[in-house]
Amino acid sequence: MTGHSARHRRVRQGDAVGHDSSGPVVARAIHLHKQYGEGESEVVALDDIDVEFRRGQMTAIMGPSGSGKSTLMHCMAGLDTPTSGQVFVEGREVSAMGQKQLTNLRRNEIGFIFQSFNLVPTLSAEENILLPLQIAHKPIDRDWFDRIVHVVGLGNRLGHRPSQLSGGQQQRVACARAMMQRPSVIFADEPTGNLDSRSSKEVLEFLRRSVRDYGQSIVMVTHDPRAASFADRVLVLADGSITLDMDHPDYEEILDVFADNGDGDTAAEMAAAEETVEAIEDDPKVDGPASDAGIVQDPDDGEVQ
Amino acid sequence: MIRIGLRDAKSHLRRFVMSIVAIALGVAFVVGSFCFRAMLDSQVESMMATNTDADVYVRGATAQKNDDSSDSAAMPSDESSGSSGDDTTRYNLVDPDLMTTIDGVDGVAESRILYNVSNVVLVGADGDATSTLGGSTMTVGLGDGTTWRSTSLTDGRWPTADDEIALLDDSAGTAGLKVGDTTTIVYPDGPKDVKVVGEFSCSSAQAGTIIVAIPVSLAKSYYQQQNDTTDVDEIGVYGSMTTALSEAEQQDLADRINAALPADSDATAVTGDSVREESTKSTQEQLGFIQPLILIFAVIALFVGSFIIANTFSMIVRDSMRGYALLRSIGASPAQIFMTVIIQAIVLGVIGSVIGIFLSWGMLALIAAGLGQMGMSLSGSVTPSWSDCLVGLVVGLVVTLVGATWPARTAATAPPIQAMNETVNPEKPVRPRAVLGGVMTILGAGCWWFTVLLANAKAAGDGGPTPWDAVNDMSVGWPLGVGAGLVVLGIIVLAPALVVPAQAVLGWIPSHVWPVTGRLATRNISRAKRRTANTATALFVGVAIVSCLGVVAASAKTSVNSLVDTGFKGDFVVMNAANGQITEEEIDAVKSVKDIDVVSPISMIMGVKYGGERIQGMTMTAESNLFTDIFEPTTTAGNAVTALDDGELVVGSKVAERQGWTVGETVDVSADQIEVDEDATQAAIEAYRQQVQQQVTQLQAEAQQLLAAGDTAGAQAKADEATKTADEAQDVDQSQFVKTKTTTVTKQLVVGAIIDNSVYQNYVFVNEDLGGELGTEQTTFTMVMYLNAAAGADLATVQTDLEKAVKPYYVLTVMNRDEFKSTVSSMIDQVLMILYALLALSILIAIFGIVNTLALNVSERTREIGLLRAIGTSRGQVRGMLGIEAAIISVFGTLLGIVVGVGAGAVIRAAYQANGLNTLSIPWSMLAWFLVLSIVVGLVASVSPASRALKQPILDAVASE
Repeated sequence: MTGHSARHRRVRQGDAVGHDSSGPVVARAIHLHKQYGEGESEVVALDDIDVEFRRGQMTAIMGPSGSGKSTLMHCMAGLDTPTSGQVFVEGREVSAMGQKQLTNLRRNEIGFIFQSFNLVPTLSAEENILLPLQIAHKPIDRDWFDRIVHVVGLGNRLGHRPSQLSGGQQQRVACARAMMQRPSVIFADEPTGNLDSRSSKEVLEFLRRSVRDYGQSIVMVTHDPRAASFADRVLVLADGSITLDMDHPDYEEILDVFADNGDGDTAAEMAAAEETVEAIEDDPKVDGPASDAGIVQDPDDGEVQ
Repeated sequence: MIRIGLRDAKSHLRRFVMSIVAIALGVAFVVGSFCFRAMLDSQVESMMATNTDADVYVRGATAQKNDDSSDSAAMPSDESSGSSGDDTTRYNLVDPDLMTTIDGVDGVAESRILYNVSNVVLVGADGDATSTLGGSTMTVGLGDGTTWRSTSLTDGRWPTADDEIALLDDSAGTAGLKVGDTTTIVYPDGPKDVKVVGEFSCSSAQAGTIIVAIPVSLAKSYYQQQNDTTDVDEIGVYGSMTTALSEAEQQDLADRINAALPADSDATAVTGDSVREESTKSTQEQLGFIQPLILIFAVIALFVGSFIIANTFSMIVRDSMRGYALLRSIGASPAQIFMTVIIQAIVLGVIGSVIGIFLSWGMLALIAAGLGQMGMSLSGSVTPSWSDCLVGLVVGLVVTLVGATWPARTAATAPPIQAMNETVNPEKPVRPRAVLGGVMTILGAGCWWFTVLLANAKAAGDGGPTPWDAVNDMSVGWPLGVGAGLVVLGIIVLAPALVVPAQAVLGWIPSHVWPVTGRLATRNISRAKRRTANTATALFVGVAIVSCLGVVAASAKTSVNSLVDTGFKGDFVVMNAANGQITEEEIDAVKSVKDIDVVSPISMIMGVKYGGERIQGMTMTAESNLFTDIFEPTTTAGNAVTALDDGELVVGSKVAERQGWTVGETVDVSADQIEVDEDATQAAIEAYRQQVQQQVTQLQAEAQQLLAAGDTAGAQAKADEATKTADEAQDVDQSQFVKTKTTTVTKQLVVGAIIDNSVYQNYVFVNEDLGGELGTEQTTFTMVMYLNAAAGADLATVQTDLEKAVKPYYVLTVMNRDEFKSTVSSMIDQVLMILYALLALSILIAIFGIVNTLALNVSERTREIGLLRAIGTSRGQVRGMLGIEAAIISVFGTLLGIVVGVGAGAVIRAAYQANGLNTLSIPWSMLAWFLVLSIVVGLVASVSPASRALKQPILDAVASE
């Protein structure tokens, strides 16, 4: 790891972080280890990771296919259980939670934005946005709703079903939904993976605004350097370990990381993936996931062939 | 490809469980219904073989209409059960003297007349009346040379004295009696102590019928009393006493006998086989309704089965799409992909059918065992025949293939690139189905409307609703059946279009009570309208049948109950449960009970003619206290009480309508009375006595001669013979000399009143004085006694006293008002029990359907459910959502079923109101329970799909592509 800018720093092992919910750290992992399979078919997705995510920041997790970036996020969000190690969100140990507590965690502390299929097809945009509050039997803050809707710019499309919305609009509805419950942290899994560059920008700008204006904490997994450039901090994973931790990198810096030969084929792969994504974005005829599925096979998202 | 198909089938076997169960159930019902039919047929055949085993029968040549009620039973409610009589053709009776002619015919070994006495009860060793389910008691005069061919004594001897009986070995076992025991026989005229002197066997099974042999002379005299004639139904002719003749030989013999029968005898000889066939057929027809009933449920099961299979394969195909796409992209043809799916279907169909065949075998064995437990042993085999099995296998396979074809087509035709994606094809619009279904339903409803018009017109006796006679003469059953078919099919076609309105209406409560889960569930209902509708249809058909029958049963019950409720003022009813006849002695015993105030016996007089003809309706004697104290009449004309007191006729409205009688009209009432001709009997006895006297005198004279000739021993022998002859004459049964004569009593009576209560509608009442003149002891039977306790008496005590008083007569039943009412309706309750069993069956099948549909829905919505979980939906909320969804589907089907079923029931009630269904009663509480039950069914059905949905990790759900 040489030739990086001064702002790049190695992740310090075992950073001491305060546990109270108003502290500077919203979520953290200690000695997080995750492996799939046994014996010969054993795959280590996360190799003893220690990381903390700071409050009021957007953190992007980057890395090539199979680097474990999705697994890290899934474990942080309580969607996946680590093989060993601990995960804390707002000082509560997610890795030790039962189904009931996890449900509570999702209702109160965590918001989600997925790559695709974020909305319930039978509900209108407005109903989708309000769904988390209704599920949790929480009162609806109309002012907050109006403000969010204004920010995402969906005022005139609230009554539409997801099938009547474009991909970008759907993703903005998903953002609004995630914001609606004012969670401690929003986990976004490739939120722009299925979008063209214009829609991606809208979504990312909304996410950045929610961090800047409302102090929202966001953890975003992406392989798009442009998306990552919206983040306050970028973590780069390779082979289950965090190899880089960049503070407010710009787009060029991020591209540099992967263009750099320091990380060998990992970087080359990353760049290749990025180019492909851009090629797809430029071609309106090609549908996202179809071509995506063939090229970027993420072994840790449940589709191990 | 075949190997891939088989491998897939193996790996999907767990998924196939539900489909296999559904197919197995359907096939089991199909095979079971055929098999049950065969069982009943063989049962009936073997029953007939014993009792009707002659080679040729000589019987009346003129077929007769089911004539009046000369031996129809006793309860006033009988009329309400409608035309339940058996449809056997009756012929005129024949003269027993024809036997002499028949015996002279070449080839006749013997001819025999067996006299049956009806309504006899055998009291078993335990002191209670012996009875078996299904079988009745058959009392028949049997003796040496007067039996069936297949009958032989196994122990003791045939009865000769009036206080002796012999029993069929099987019946003796049932009654717990053996040769040498004494017991009681309740004859129509009262109980008699008898001794069991013999046991006999019959070569084939008797299906629980108790056969009591009594002396031939006694049977003959009871027969003649009961039937008001000395003529008999038939004379059995045997060509050989050891082996049965072949059909051709029977025909030869019958031809020869026919040639010998005198032209004026109005008798004909027919082969035994044809008689057996006839009676077997009529019995089989009566039992025949069972098969279509079972078949209906078989059809439901198979419908649901094919639907479940379609759903299952849709799931499998969706899961395997990527695999198919891979196969396609490496060069597999659509036909080959199609085959991989179809092969799985064949495997599934064969497994399901085979299990179904075994299931049906087990089911029938269980039924047979159950009936055997209840005393009705079935002789037929419960093993399905090869042809039954083949039918089952074919049906199972066809249904499976039909179900699998569409998903297989989807698998084969999907372009590879599309298969890589998860795309949900948009549903075809339901409008065409809405139009077609709507038209069919309206046409069906129109047919029903016409049915009601037709029935009303028929009841009113006017021309009919249309100007065409051919249409007006049509039986109401036609438009009723066509209408029902159209409505049911129409609703099935229409159902997908009804899903959206149903969602709005049925979803209203859940979406308001549970804003999130309720609303999500409700919206999900209309995502796959056809699937929702098909799932609901399974329940719809079952519930429709059951609620239709429920309405008819409830209406029948109310029609009966309403008269008891509104009209019945008596405290107690005494009836003869066994044979519908109460003797003088029994009447006196009842009357003697303390605190009985009003006694109103109702008697029937047989053989009464009006205007010289027998009419449809019974002639009854009663006193006016029947009208004042027991059943208040609804009088349409005249005053029933004074009319009866004044010796006028009180006529039921139905009879009056049929005969065209009005109040004030004079009617010739005549009755044939058969009574003992005292003079002739005396003369016959005298003649016999003289004949014996002559014999004795002659023997004595011979003895004198022999003595004179010195042959002391010879003289002594002759003298002994003379004494013996005289002694024998003393012992001879006097009854054989009894001569009867028939006299006709004719009265001119005025119709005094017409009454309309349904209980009275088919009766003509005369008072007891007139009854005494018209009827004789032999032709008048007291059928029922209505009693009122004295004011202030403790009814419970009176009832106990009454029961004590009738105990020695074995057959009398005492009922208080409530019991009376429930007796009247208990048969209907039994029908309802069967309905509930059928309902349970259709619910079981429907649950499979709902479970399957939900499983398919869940598998389609894996990601959606994962998303919901990810944003904080609890497990309970997911369960609740699926539960509500299932409940709405199930309530939807149930509601459709109730609406159509109640409609059909109401139309049937209107169409057959002439048969006693006067009051429409809709069993609201039962229907409400159906609805509650349907909610429960939905919730139960959602448990396993919900568990499956929750088992899926959220991660997989949201990450799956």
